[in-house]
Amino acid sequence: MTMVSFIVNSKPVTLETDLSRRLLDVLRDDLGLTGTKEGCGEGECGACQVYLDGDLVNSCMVPMANVIGKSVLTIEGFSETEAYRQIEAAYIEEGAVQCGYCIPGMVMATGALLRSNPHPDLEAIKDGLSGNICRCTGYQTIFKAVERASKEEVKK
Amino acid sequence: MTLEHIRPESLHDLLKAMDTADYTLFAGGTDLMIRKRQWQGASRRFEEPIAFINQLKELRGIEDLGDHYRIGALTTQEEMATSGILPDYLRDPYHQMATLAIRNIATVGGNIINAASVGDSLPLLMALDAEVVLESLAGERTLPVTELIIDKYRTRRKSNEILTRVMIPKEDFTGYYYKKLGQRKASILSKLSIILLYRKKETLEDLRIAVGAVNDKPVRLPAAEKTLLATGDLAGYLKSLSEAFESADDKRSTKEYRETVSLALIKQELEKLFS
Repeated sequence: MTMVSFIVNSKPVTLETDLSRRLLDVLRDDLGLTGTKEGCGEGECGACQVYLDGDLVNSCMVPMANVIGKSVLTIEGFSETEAYRQIEAAYIEEGAVQCGYCIPGMVMATGALLRSNPHPDLEAIKDGLSGNICRCTGYQTIFKAVERASKEEVKK
Repeated sequence: MTLEHIRPESLHDLLKAMDTADYTLFAGGTDLMIRKRQWQGASRRFEEPIAFINQLKELRGIEDLGDHYRIGALTTQEEMATSGILPDYLRDPYHQMATLAIRNIATVGGNIINAASVGDSLPLLMALDAEVVLESLAGERTLPVTELIIDKYRTRRKSNEILTRVMIPKEDFTGYYYKKLGQRKASILSKLSIILLYRKKETLEDLRIAVGAVNDKPVRLPAAEKTLLATGDLAGYLKSLSEAFESADDKRSTKEYRETVSLALIKQELEKLFS
């Protein structure tokens, strides 16, 4: 066990853990941040996606050794931003959510996509969400939601 | 049981530790975390001592050194895919690897040292005559990627050595062809991948061809490439290639599909180039 310090949703955190423990488990079990979901547990489905120093990552693949001194933003932290509110409104408007399990990851991936490419075409949207699996929607409403979110005026 | 996991703060500290004990080097972890996966909530059970190395900033970054690119081993695949320095023939294959969330943590050095038969960077690096630098406490040595890779999951890296950087010669290719085939467009392990790099001005001056995911190690035939360039004998080159293939049926594809499709795609591209 090792003491590790990092930042979660703008708050400093220090806790004792194995270096090989998954960030996903620390977020959910130690910190009670259950918005981040476990789907496949092997990096395919994207349900566990968070930002690590601003980059989209699958938290099931990241050991705590690689989180030390870094900043993590989960869906709980992201939901306090204007970028999130815009994406949420678009997902609701397009009816893009069914069971909802993949949605925290979808929303994180959407946020990452729109940050690097504010006006993606359909191919870029598919590419940006290619690491996220949804078993309900067939994706079409989600693609529409991302497109809608990209057209909303960014409110500062 | 306490496993001796270490997380050194400098390359020198890491090399000192590696000089006295065998460590499994752990960079981004996108392969290792999955290989060691267990039930939900459990720590990954690494039986052997692990050295976490992702924090070693000196092993990161992409530089243009005039006649070659110098790539730190811990540079991420996404940094390669989006680099403002690198040409498209380097960025494109990296962009097609895995997905954004994986490329953001998976490293250039990890894909090489893991040496999976489906490692998509390997045919590219072999076609480019890239070299790797291996460092231990005793010093450095340089090895072409094609010599480093023995076959599936096996390399000539010694247990006290770490791959610190990749050196990629700069070439003035006028075009390239990259095709990766799998069950879907993104987030797949390749059934096969083909990289073809060329410089064509008045005539075809340079031509490199490598095929990944068919054999245990990517196939490149430099002597046959030279003959092809000199003679324009497409059939002869394709015959050499088909003789070099030693694929097998597995869960991703069949021997027949991989070899037939590889030959057909390369034939199609060569016919365009030699027309």
